[in-house]
Amino acid sequence: MNRLIFRLVLFGALILLIGGMGLLYHLPLDTLNPSPQQPIPFSHQLHAGNYQIDCRYCHRHVERSTAAGVPDVALCRSCHEHIATESPTIKQLAKYWQTGETIPWIRIHQLPDHVYFPHMMHIRAKVACSYCHGEVSTMTQVQRVASLNMGWCLNCHRENQAGIDCWTCHI
Amino acid sequence: MNIETSEFHWGMVIDLDRCTGCGACVTACQAENNIPISEQDGIANGRNLHWIRIERYWEGEFPHVRARFLPMLCQHCDDAPCEPVCPVYASYHNPEGLNGQVYNRCVGTRYCANNCPYAVRVFNFFNPKWPKPLEQQLSPDVTVRSRGVMEKCSFCIQRIRRGKEQASLENRKLLDGEVMPACAQTCPPQAIIFGDLNDPDSRVSKLARSPRRFRLFEDLGTEPSVIYLKGGGHDHPG
Repeated sequence: MNRLIFRLVLFGALILLIGGMGLLYHLPLDTLNPSPQQPIPFSHQLHAGNYQIDCRYCHRHVERSTAAGVPDVALCRSCHEHIATESPTIKQLAKYWQTGETIPWIRIHQLPDHVYFPHMMHIRAKVACSYCHGEVSTMTQVQRVASLNMGWCLNCHRENQAGIDCWTCHI
Repeated sequence: MNIETSEFHWGMVIDLDRCTGCGACVTACQAENNIPISEQDGIANGRNLHWIRIERYWEGEFPHVRARFLPMLCQHCDDAPCEPVCPVYASYHNPEGLNGQVYNRCVGTRYCANNCPYAVRVFNFFNPKWPKPLEQQLSPDVTVRSRGVMEKCSFCIQRIRRGKEQASLENRKLLDGEVMPACAQTCPPQAIIFGDLNDPDSRVSKLARSPRRFRLFEDLGTEPSVIYLKGGGHDHPG
């Protein structure tokens, strides 16, 4: 009898162990919200979709710099001084301008500290913005589409014969 | 296996007859590469961090004594003793002839440092701390290493990469002398020269063919990429 109970307990423990491991395997490693609520409900669909404004008009440094660049309040204001000034969101924007504060945008495409990602080299290699960022021009609230994990980067680097030396990205 | 090859083989020439032992290279390296500042008791325990150091030797007997200096940094050996001992391939050989250290792979076994005959690898025994406002001067291009990670000279890979990117954006080849590590750039007597050893016309290649050349511990067969020059001046007739 004792032996049976022992075996049952052992069997139960084994099931729990395997089940736990399976659960761990299926749990997403990425727990960040892919589409957080931004301080100003800026719609890429409206700007990049309806009005066909080029990505590079606001993300100005993308061809020259590692960072694509988030536009400053002055750039937003250069248009919105005249356009849709009565809208409540634009009034919110004007408040940032008046107080001289920066808009606390929540970063969605965040790479770890040990990754070096130069935007300009990818633009030079003619990688479309949407390849990593998704069809932003159809999103009212931007959502992260790509996983941005290392295997995902390497797949593209291998396909396009880009460097796969560790020090290409980890410096 | 598909072995990546590159047109470059980075190398360095250090002219010991020019070196005055001022230590500017050490400071420049510290600033460029986000190297943590060591605490006093850390240094007492031999846990100070530096990617380049100045070795001092005394020559002659008093009163005819003279100090000689030798800047010691990672020699970027072609046959590096640090590489095969790493169990996680954090220490690896780059196609450009550099010894890479991948911080996010490193698990801190310290085998590589123990196997390095030049003792140029340093280990982060503590999480880095910078007294305010020094944290403002950290370079965004270089990873800040955390505790438990081995680190060493990278020949300022961030500068090499930036130089190559700039050249490719301008559709041209990288010029000789365009890329310079922080130590070479700052050296007041220009004792440190950096460049591509694969290009026979580069300044570093020409100097590397000098009869004054020697490499450290050449008998070990590590094939270092750092070449020292010494002798031939008025101090060393013949």
